[in-house]
Amino acid sequence: MSGDVMMKKKISLDSSPWIWRTVSTVSILATLLLLFGFGYAIKDVIFPEGDSALSTGQETTAPTNNIENETAVVEDGKIRMAVIGDSLARGTGDDEGLGFVRRAGNLLKDKGYDVQVLNNLGVNGLRTDALLEKLDEQGVRYVLQQSNFILLSIGANDLFQGGQVLQGEDPPTAEQLAAALPETSKRLQEILKKVKEINPNAQIAYIGLYNPFGDVKELEKPGNAVVAAWNDAALAILNNEDKMTLVPTFDLFENHLGSISLQIISIPMDKVMSRLQFELHRNSRRIHLQKGAENKWQSSSMIPSCLYSI
Amino acid sequence: MSNIMPLIRNETIKMVKKKRLYIIFIVLAILVPMFTYAQMKSAENNRDKFGGDWRLELQQAITDNQNSLGSDRVPEEYKKYRTVYIQQMQYYLENDINPKEPGGVTFTREFMNNAVGLFIPLLIMAIASDLVSGERTTGTIKMLLTRPVKRWKVLLSKLITLIMFVSIIVVSAYIICYGISGAVFGYKGFNMPIFTGFKVVGTDVDMSAVHAVDQWLYMLMQAGLIWFVSVIVAMLAFMVSVLVRSTAASIVIMMAALIAGTILTSMAASWQSAKYLFMVNLELPDYLSGGLPPIEGMNLGFSLIVLSVWGVASLIVSFLVFTKRDILN
Repeated sequence: MSGDVMMKKKISLDSSPWIWRTVSTVSILATLLLLFGFGYAIKDVIFPEGDSALSTGQETTAPTNNIENETAVVEDGKIRMAVIGDSLARGTGDDEGLGFVRRAGNLLKDKGYDVQVLNNLGVNGLRTDALLEKLDEQGVRYVLQQSNFILLSIGANDLFQGGQVLQGEDPPTAEQLAAALPETSKRLQEILKKVKEINPNAQIAYIGLYNPFGDVKELEKPGNAVVAAWNDAALAILNNEDKMTLVPTFDLFENHLGSISLQIISIPMDKVMSRLQFELHRNSRRIHLQKGAENKWQSSSMIPSCLYSI
Repeated sequence: MSNIMPLIRNETIKMVKKKRLYIIFIVLAILVPMFTYAQMKSAENNRDKFGGDWRLELQQAITDNQNSLGSDRVPEEYKKYRTVYIQQMQYYLENDINPKEPGGVTFTREFMNNAVGLFIPLLIMAIASDLVSGERTTGTIKMLLTRPVKRWKVLLSKLITLIMFVSIIVVSAYIICYGISGAVFGYKGFNMPIFTGFKVVGTDVDMSAVHAVDQWLYMLMQAGLIWFVSVIVAMLAFMVSVLVRSTAASIVIMMAALIAGTILTSMAASWQSAKYLFMVNLELPDYLSGGLPPIEGMNLGFSLIVLSVWGVASLIVSFLVFTKRDILN
């Protein structure tokens, strides 16, 4: 027994030179390696050399090269939805944070379609000019190329100055509202053209405007006028293109705005949804949707509160 | 110098025979699988959402960040971070490179990036905090000092040993992390390009110096920076262990300083002079990836100088106190 202890002690004593040699070698090697890394990092961060071969802008087409199979994307019968545009697209103010794209997706799923909501690219307060720039971004283009059903909501922030009247500023006059119209609708045309260029095979649905100020007395009429003019202009553009539709929302709100406070403007979501679905269904021969899906208007309960713009 | 080698050798063997050293490896071996599992779960979650397409995922992250820029509820500093993040991610997208390409190598890089502020210093402290105070608690310091060796040589041998083990700990953290996460995510990814050289100017990112380096080289640079941080933390913990008699107290002091650092880093933007504190300067690898520094005006050179000053000062204090003070009681 005592011999065992002696042996153990002896072994552990004998192991000392071995430990020392291994540990010192390993630690010297590790230190040298780390010192090299440290020096290289200082050199690289403090005196960096840019790589001229890399893109600094939009010249690269790398991601687009990989995605030449849009036709296959359409043919497999799966609906790939993406939404781009302003806060309405985003779903800001929606109690459940779904936005109309997810709600539409869910409704379609309930009807038995194979639906995937790829991305929600809505950005609060987005205007037409910013959207035009966004359409040049590689990531955005990629998303649009991957989808076969593109929802678009834009224009409200241009026409109503980001809803500044809701923040207590003077309401825009009828002239001001009308003044923004021609330029904005021209940009909408460019946007639609660009989206179509990016993905010629996708179904594009533009969500029409409604009058957010239908319950502000002095704005009701001029608001209605400019929204109607805008929707007309949009319709004129969309009518000339195939695979593009306008989803009207104007009429849905006319009699529903007053009941809710000024800030929160309710959208009968289900109605927008079923209208979307209707538009989708009309084009179902293109995208192989399931037969027999009926486009009954769901006139069920209102799903309220979708904060307008901002 | 002739008689310092045996001292280092002695200290090394003492260190190897201490259980404390193995606790470090055990902690790593337990924590890394936890993080690996968490990462795996979040990857699975994203795969469900985006069908495994990283471009869709990244674009959604960009859009989400863009939305928070317009929100009044998000503090201005966070908006700056997000602006920088958005620009960098767009750069990755434009160059068709997945910044989070799943793999053992990427996991290790990300893990170490997050570990440098608190986790790695904690491991270093585990061995540094009791180097001197531990010997005083057990009384073995008397044996050391009654030998015919100058006190500063005793202390220097301890310091050199400590730095040797710091290197070993940093390297083994990488190896353990890579070994474990690789079993789940695969061992590939050393040649994946990583961008570095982002220069943050205000809220804009200057891309002119951006260049791609292979991930292994990036990790080597990262490891070098982590090593430097660890050495400084080791020196500070070393000083505390000279000053304080109890090991527990010295660990608590260092922990408090480090945790204060992580809290300050996230809220110090308005307290300008906090940038001279060592703990605000620990996140050196962020300068590689081009993150916004916690306080305006900080850059790699600045942080290195601040850390060096702290390191040198703590060494001076350690040696002065150790050689002058009556330690034997």
